[in-house]
Amino acid sequence: MNKIILLLILLLPKTSLSVDLYFCDNSMEDLPTQAGGRVKPLYVLADETIKFITGKSQIQNLSAVEAFCLLSVQSMGLKNDLDIPIRIDHSKVKEILNISQEESSLPAQKLMEQKDLLRSEYMQQKQNDAYKKELNKVLTRLSYYEQTLNGSLWSSPSINQNEVHWLSLPEFLTQDKVQSTALQGKEAFLQVFKTAKKNYIELKGDSYLLELTYSKLKLFSWAMISVLLALIFLTLKKSSTVGLFFTASTLTIELIAMVMRIFISGRAPITNMYETVMFSGFGALSLAIIIYSYKKDKVFLFGGLSYNLLCLLMMKFANNMLDPSIQNLVPVLRDNFWLSTHVTTIILSYAALALSWMLANIVLIKSLRKKLEAKDRRYYTSLIYSCLKYGVALLSAGIILGGVWADYSWGRFWGWDPKETWSLIVLLFYMAILHGKYSKWVTDRNFIPLVAAAFLSVMMAWFGVNYILATGLHSYGFSEGGAIFLASFFTIQISVLLLYYAREKIKADHNS
Amino acid sequence: MLKMLKKAEKTLGSVQFAVVIIVLFALALIYGTFMESYHGAEYANRLVYKSLPFFLLQFSMFLSIFCATLLRLPMKKHLYGFYVLHLGLLLLFLGSFITYKSGIDGNLTLPPNLAQRKIVLNEDEFEIKLEEKGVKVTSPMPFYAGETHLNYTLNENQHFQNLPQIRMLRFLPFAQNSLMWRKSPENFVNKSSAQYQIYNDRFSENVILSMNPLSDYQSSTKMGLLNLHYMPEQLYPCFILNNVSELVIWDSEKESCFTPESRGLPVRKTPKGERHVLLKEMGQDYHFFPELSPIPMKADLALLNDSAFRIFSLKFFKEKPHLFLFGQKLAFYDESEEKWVGHDYEQNGPIAELPWMSFNLRLTSYHKNRYPVQSPEYVKPTQDNGQIIIGNDKAIEISVDGQNYWIRQSDGPMQMILNGEKITFELKKKEILLPYEITLNRFVMKTDPGTQSAASYESFIGLFDGKKVNDHHVYMNHPLKYKNFTFYQASYFESQEGGYGSVFSVNFDPGRPWKYLGSLLLVFGTIWHFGFSRRKRLKEKRKEIHEQNNPVTHTATT
Repeated sequence: MNKIILLLILLLPKTSLSVDLYFCDNSMEDLPTQAGGRVKPLYVLADETIKFITGKSQIQNLSAVEAFCLLSVQSMGLKNDLDIPIRIDHSKVKEILNISQEESSLPAQKLMEQKDLLRSEYMQQKQNDAYKKELNKVLTRLSYYEQTLNGSLWSSPSINQNEVHWLSLPEFLTQDKVQSTALQGKEAFLQVFKTAKKNYIELKGDSYLLELTYSKLKLFSWAMISVLLALIFLTLKKSSTVGLFFTASTLTIELIAMVMRIFISGRAPITNMYETVMFSGFGALSLAIIIYSYKKDKVFLFGGLSYNLLCLLMMKFANNMLDPSIQNLVPVLRDNFWLSTHVTTIILSYAALALSWMLANIVLIKSLRKKLEAKDRRYYTSLIYSCLKYGVALLSAGIILGGVWADYSWGRFWGWDPKETWSLIVLLFYMAILHGKYSKWVTDRNFIPLVAAAFLSVMMAWFGVNYILATGLHSYGFSEGGAIFLASFFTIQISVLLLYYAREKIKADHNS
Repeated sequence: MLKMLKKAEKTLGSVQFAVVIIVLFALALIYGTFMESYHGAEYANRLVYKSLPFFLLQFSMFLSIFCATLLRLPMKKHLYGFYVLHLGLLLLFLGSFITYKSGIDGNLTLPPNLAQRKIVLNEDEFEIKLEEKGVKVTSPMPFYAGETHLNYTLNENQHFQNLPQIRMLRFLPFAQNSLMWRKSPENFVNKSSAQYQIYNDRFSENVILSMNPLSDYQSSTKMGLLNLHYMPEQLYPCFILNNVSELVIWDSEKESCFTPESRGLPVRKTPKGERHVLLKEMGQDYHFFPELSPIPMKADLALLNDSAFRIFSLKFFKEKPHLFLFGQKLAFYDESEEKWVGHDYEQNGPIAELPWMSFNLRLTSYHKNRYPVQSPEYVKPTQDNGQIIIGNDKAIEISVDGQNYWIRQSDGPMQMILNGEKITFELKKKEILLPYEITLNRFVMKTDPGTQSAASYESFIGLFDGKKVNDHHVYMNHPLKYKNFTFYQASYFESQEGGYGSVFSVNFDPGRPWKYLGSLLLVFGTIWHFGFSRRKRLKEKRKEIHEQNNPVTHTATT
């Protein structure tokens, strides 16, 4: 160890930067590394780690790769001044750490001094509430920081008898390897990594680099721009062709992104909340285009695009709730056939129901501004009904497929697990509306607000079971931090409905 | 009568009735999911999903679907989708009912290399065995969420007629032990018990200690590095004497203590450096070697186990934190003051300051003639982070010859001798035996490369059907189907003998074909129904457009 430090001091010239970068630079982003049971480019590992610890992708003008590398080289005795901030969200955690509520982080080295306090506080909490979960999260962030510092998080391939052995940074970067390159300066160190990468690719191929392309392309950001342009051009009636072009381009970009995720992960892109939101946005827009193709009403496109935009916004800004990283699955989910059929069908049904919800809300909001004629209401009811049919048929099929998978994997067709029960509740609510409409109990006046309200059951089945109920066999899909999102969603939807009914009452009073 | 039936059919088959039932069903399910979230799956099953009202609700739904289908007979072409869809639903209900009545759902635990055939089911039963006669009587326990009064006398059974009365009184499906102070029998008076609260700024815990052998609590315990010992109150004065020898002798017959110094007994040293104290009492010599044993010895070094005397060397308790409790008094060695310190709660106040980590000790209750026991009481279970943290035991109260006893599921069997007959009582899960044996040869948990996270759980088993052994490989999503039973990889455990054991979920479902057929019809029927509606609507729309475009012709026709 001491020898390699000496070597680094001799070989690496001092830079003029406030932080000495040693050999760390962005050219290392395509190096293969193994983390979480998968081989991925260093760029992805660095980005995920730095983002998880700090909540940011850049630290003091350093890229995630540079920051990650600088932290890791400390495991080899190369001290530097880089002190990254560790993200802290919960107000009570801030209180015990004596930081103001305005601050959202604490320098890692300072937080390390408070680690025992955090651990003891965590141990004392009997209820597994938001506070305890946040304490656990901060401690996990600290643990990731420590693992980065000791170089164990960054593993590099070493080929021995046609087998890949993954070595931590201090094990991998030995003096012999650096000297054998016969190069000077940081090139000598970079050469060691490049040789390891070359050897790895020769043995295992370069398929892992697809993830680098996927991460750098940021396709969902492009999809967001495209969907916004589609909405703008569709609003300007004369430019509907351009609007349609951008609608198609949105769908194409999202399709490319999902296909890339399929190739990277080797499975259908529907295994966590991030992917289900992504797939439902795509599904709703696809369905909107299909219905538009025979109904020829742009309102479907508006509905599909608006919902797609909502999904993209969630994927972009709700990373605390939706984790975009690609991870290995729990054993029971490692069955591509059932995963691809059951979950896809359920999420497509949610997409169709989401489209009906979006259309219902468009009509509700429209009717707040202008009185809706009975003829128009009938027309919109028929449009929404079209989406509902798809949603209900797909949901029934999805529930049945889930039952068959459960029977195949767990030995029972139905077990009153919260996730499956809630999907049945969703179906029942929509069936009640459809039966009510058939019996004339649900009039055209009430059908649209009821469809908007019924989507709350979908949100409960989709997010609420994970964030509020959080038990049961489907626990692998659980993530945290969504209760506030769900409460906000419910509040907004209920407010729109109350406004609608208040407005209707005023109109009725006025007419009488 | 026929008219009434027709009316009932019309009401039950009406869409309005269907809407009411669907909404009620949905509300019951919402309630069930919240109950499951707060109280766990078993509570939700007992309270909602497997309760009579919920069963009636399901039956009402069945009736609604059945009557709605009957009302639409004879068959009409445009309703084919409707018939198929509703028939699918009826078959699903039928399949589920068959599973409920005749299905088997349990677990098979396979320790490594041990042939097993016992399937443990989810139902609870109370088993009474007359060991010598080889007679076994079992009573199924009710499947309700609350406490159930049983009031069932077992002596009606012929094998129990000559025994004292045995009655089952109460069954608690969710029980938690609660502290109860029972009156000591006369021969156990002065065997005191006490409850203390030990706390500092960051920690607080209750400790119960008892000298009474009938108690469920011990007389000593450990809390981290701190050792707590509960001792007779009469020993207290000798602990705080700080006598030079630091030896205390206890006379359990007189219930008093003394020190070698107080009796003028010299403390000598053996050639090996061990201390020796000689006590002469009632013509008997008691040789104490406190470094070797608390029990006195004869001159020939034979232990006098029956002696009432015991010796303690307080030196042993100076290095590590030891706290001696004597009911309303306590003593400990204070390193800073280098002496034994005492605290009398009656004289020095209700809180004793301890010399370790700013701990305080409060005496919360003290009983001279009562002893603490853990008695089961009914609680609504509490679930936290997917685990039942309160109420994860079950208990039954029985009365044997007028005396009441609690039998907890977690305790295992309880034995009693009645009229010379050995009887075993046990509250347990119902079990059935497979007609063949399964042996776990190997359990493998594969992990993702470079991690500890599981990638697969795999059991390699041998199945012996009486003739030969067949090897099978059971893993996630790849169950074993054998003679109507299906075995699924459900869990695993670390065996005490070393290696890993495996747990299979075992299932026999005679309703399965009906459920699969029903599912198929339901999905097919839904698509058919909605597909037809679309064509119907297109036809209507075309007609509408036609009417709009040809108003003259339309008027002329009318």
